[in-house]
Amino acid sequence: MQDAITAEYSGPPKLNYLNNGFTLKSWLLTKDHKRIAIMYLITVSLFFMAGGLYASAIRLELLTPASDLLQTGTYNKVFTQHGILMIFFFLIPSIPAVLGNFILPIMIGAKDLALPRINLLSLYIYWVGGAFTVWALLQGGVDTGWTFYTPYSTTFSNTYVMAVGLGIFINGFSSILTGLNFIVTVHTMRAPGMTWFRLPLFVWAQYATSLVMILGTPVIAITVLLLAIERFAHVGIFDPAIGGDPILFQHMFWFYSHPAVYIMILPGMGVISELISNFSRKKIFGYEFIAFSSIAIAVFGFLVWGHHMFVSGQSVYAGLVFSFLTMVVAVPSAIKMFNWTATMYKGSISYDTPMLYGIGFMGLFLIGGLTGLFLGAIGLTVHLTDTYFVVAHFHYVMVGGQVIAYLGGIHYWWPKMTGKMYSEFWGKISAMLVFIGFNLTFFPQFILGYMGMPRRYASYPPEFQVLNIFSTAGASVLGVGLVMPVIYLAQSLIAGKAAGDNPWMLPGLEWRTSSPPPTENFDVMPVVTWEAYEFGEESGLDLEAARANESVRTI
Amino acid sequence: MSSHSETGKFHYHEPGLQHQFEDMGQQEESVSIGMWMFLVQEIMFFGGLFTAYLVFRSRFPMAFAAGSNHLDAFWGGLNTLVLIVSSLTMALTVYYAQKSNRNMQVIMILLTMAFGATFLGVKTIEYRDKFNHGLVPVQGWNKRVPADPNAEHETKPCWEVDHNAPAVEHPNPRGEFQFADCSLAKLAEGKTPEENFLTAAERIGYYSNGQIDGNKFRDKVRIFYYLYFVMTGLHALHMIVGLALMTWLLIVAWRGSFSEDYYMPVEMSGLYWHFVDIVWIFLFPLLYLLGRHFMHGG
Repeated sequence: MQDAITAEYSGPPKLNYLNNGFTLKSWLLTKDHKRIAIMYLITVSLFFMAGGLYASAIRLELLTPASDLLQTGTYNKVFTQHGILMIFFFLIPSIPAVLGNFILPIMIGAKDLALPRINLLSLYIYWVGGAFTVWALLQGGVDTGWTFYTPYSTTFSNTYVMAVGLGIFINGFSSILTGLNFIVTVHTMRAPGMTWFRLPLFVWAQYATSLVMILGTPVIAITVLLLAIERFAHVGIFDPAIGGDPILFQHMFWFYSHPAVYIMILPGMGVISELISNFSRKKIFGYEFIAFSSIAIAVFGFLVWGHHMFVSGQSVYAGLVFSFLTMVVAVPSAIKMFNWTATMYKGSISYDTPMLYGIGFMGLFLIGGLTGLFLGAIGLTVHLTDTYFVVAHFHYVMVGGQVIAYLGGIHYWWPKMTGKMYSEFWGKISAMLVFIGFNLTFFPQFILGYMGMPRRYASYPPEFQVLNIFSTAGASVLGVGLVMPVIYLAQSLIAGKAAGDNPWMLPGLEWRTSSPPPTENFDVMPVVTWEAYEFGEESGLDLEAARANESVRTI
Repeated sequence: MSSHSETGKFHYHEPGLQHQFEDMGQQEESVSIGMWMFLVQEIMFFGGLFTAYLVFRSRFPMAFAAGSNHLDAFWGGLNTLVLIVSSLTMALTVYYAQKSNRNMQVIMILLTMAFGATFLGVKTIEYRDKFNHGLVPVQGWNKRVPADPNAEHETKPCWEVDHNAPAVEHPNPRGEFQFADCSLAKLAEGKTPEENFLTAAERIGYYSNGQIDGNKFRDKVRIFYYLYFVMTGLHALHMIVGLALMTWLLIVAWRGSFSEDYYMPVEMSGLYWHFVDIVWIFLFPLLYLLGRHFMHGG
C-alpha cells in the first residue's frame, strides 16, 4: 500500500499547504485558509484546556458538601471563567473557525475563502481578544457568571468586568468576520456544477451559522459595550435604583446569547450529517429537509430568547409566546434527528472512530434537546430554573452535541488535514471513554437539579453528595478520554501511516484532492456532475482505487 | 495567473484580480456581497442602541424631551445638511471613477473629506457646549465651576424656571452632571387622571412622597445624555473610519488607478459612507427633534 502511493511520486515530495514554506512569517502572514485553520486549531485547543482546568476545579470542589477546596468567592470566579473561556473562546470558534475554515472551501471546490485577508484578520482579532481576556483573568478575573447579569455586574462586583467585557467585545468581531466570509464564499466561490442543492450539508449548516453570527454578534457587542461604559460612568441605564432596567440587559444579552447556542450546535449538526451519511454508505435521507431545517433553526432561534427569562420579571404574556416558539424551534432539530435515523436504516454502517462520535452525538443530543423542552414549558420551568437540571441540559447540548461533533469532525478530516492516519484502536477507546465519562458526569446532574440543587454554589446539603461524587468521577473519565486524542493524534503526525487521498472511500470533493491538499486545494478546477452523498457509479469515483487504500485505516 | 477555464476561454491577468478568483466578475460579486453583509451587521450593531433608546424614551418621554431641548437643532440640522451633500459628492466620486476621470475623482474625494471634517468639527463644538453646561453624564467630565461663597443660596423648586432669563453659569465644583429644570414633569400636575399624560414609569420615576423630585428627574435626563453620547460618539467613530478610507482612496485615485475596469474600492467605500450618513438621518430626528414642541415649558 505504502509503495503504491510512493510509486506515484518518485520525485521530491508533492508540494502541499504544509511543506510550502516553513518560516514563521509564512504562517503568520499566510492567506491560506488551511494554515489559518491550523492556527485556530492550536489556539482553540489551548482555550479548551484552560476551560477544562477550571471545570476540574469545579468538580473537585463539589466532591464534598462544604466549600472547602475553594472559597465561595474563588468558586464564583472559577465557574465564570470556565463559562467565558468555553463559550466565547472555544465553542463558538471551534467548528466554524477550525473545521469550517479548513474544509468548507475544499468542499465547494474553491481555491480559498472569498476574502482571505479578512480571514487572517479574524484570526488576529481572536488572538487579541483572547490575549486581552486572559490578561484580565490573570489580573484577578471576574465573578459575575458568563451572563454578566446587571446590576450585580455594573454596580456591585469588584472584579475585572470591564476588561473581560472588552475582551469579549473584541472577540465578537472575529466571529462576525468569519461568518461574513463564509456567506460570501458559499454565494460566489462554488465550483462549476456545484449547485446549492449539491452542497454538502456541512456547508448548509455553516451558512445558517454564519447568518446567526452576523445578525446576533453585533448585538452582544453593543450590549457589552453599554455594560462596560455603565460600569465606569454609573449612568443607570441598567441600574433600577436610578431608573434603569436590568431586564433590558437580559433581553439584549439573550437576543444574542440564545442564537449563540445555535452557533454552538448548528455546525455540529452539519458535521453529524456528513458522518451519518458517509459512514452508512448511503445517500442522506431528506437532503432538502435537513438543509432547510438549518435555516429554520437560524431564523426561529432569534425568536425564543425570552425563555431564559421566564422568572426574571418578564411579562407573563411574553412568556407564553416565548414558550410556544421554543416548542416550535424544537421541530427542525427533530427533523434532523429523524432524517439521520432514516439514513442509517439499511445503510452499510462502519464503526470507525468518527462514526462512534456521530452515533454518540445522536443519543446525547436527543437527551439534551428533549430536556430543553422541559425547560421551555412555562410551568415546569419554574421548578427547574437555576438548578443543576439546566446545567445538565446545556452541557448535553454543548458538550454532548458540539464537542462530540467537533471531535468526530477532527477525527474524520484528520487524514485530510495532515495526510496521516491515527490509531483507530486508541481512537475508538477514547471515543467510548468520552461517551461514558460524559454521561456519568452530567446525567446525575439532571436528578440533582430535579431534586432542587441550585447551580452556582460552592456548597450544598449533604444528601446531594452521592450524585455529586458520581459526577466528579465521571468528569475524571471524561478528562482521560479528552486527553487521549491529544496524545495519539500528535503521535500520528510523527509515526502515523500515510492516509492516502481518500481513506474512507467517500465521494465528497474534499476526498478528491491530495492529502494534505495543495495550497490552492485542487490541481485542476473540479467540475461537479454528481449529487451530494452519491455512492453509486454516478459519483464518478474510482471505487477500485479507493478500496485498494482500505488497509490504511485498519488498526 | 493565466489559466484556461472549463469553457476554454483564455483569461489574461486583469489589474487587481486576486488569486482565489477566476475572473473580475466573481471578485466584484464577492466584494459586493461582503460589503452588504458588513452593513447588515452594522445595522444590528446600531440596532441594539436604537432599541435601548426607544425603550427608555417610551418610558420617560418628558425627561427625554427636556434633555432633547438642550441640544442645538441648528448645529444638528447643519450637520444633516453637510452629510447629505457629502453623500452626493461621494456618489459623484463613484460616477467619475466609472468614467475614468481622475481629476474629478480627486476633487470629489477632497470635497467629501471636507464635508466629513466639517461634520466632526461641528460635533466638537456641540460636545464642548455640553461639557461647559454640565451635560456630560460622567462624574468629573464636566467643566468645573467653583462655587461662589457670596452667592445667595437659591431654594426655588426645580420646576420654577424662567426660560427667557439670560443663561447663568451654575456652580459645579466637582464637574457633575447638572440638570435643574423639571418643568416638563410639572406640566402634567393638576390634570385629571384621564388627561395626565405621564407614563406609568414616569409617575414612579419622577416622584418622591407625592412630590416631583428634581434629582430623580435629572437621573432620567442623564440616561438621555448617556444614550446621546454613545450613539453620536459611535457614529463619529464611524465617520473617522470613513475619513481614513477616504484618505486611502485619495492616494489611489491620485495615482489614477481607478478606471471603468476597476472601481470596486470606490463603490464599496461609497456604500460605507452612505450607510454612516443614513445612521445620522435616523439619529438627528430621534435626538434633536422629537419633543421640541415642549420647548420653553410647553
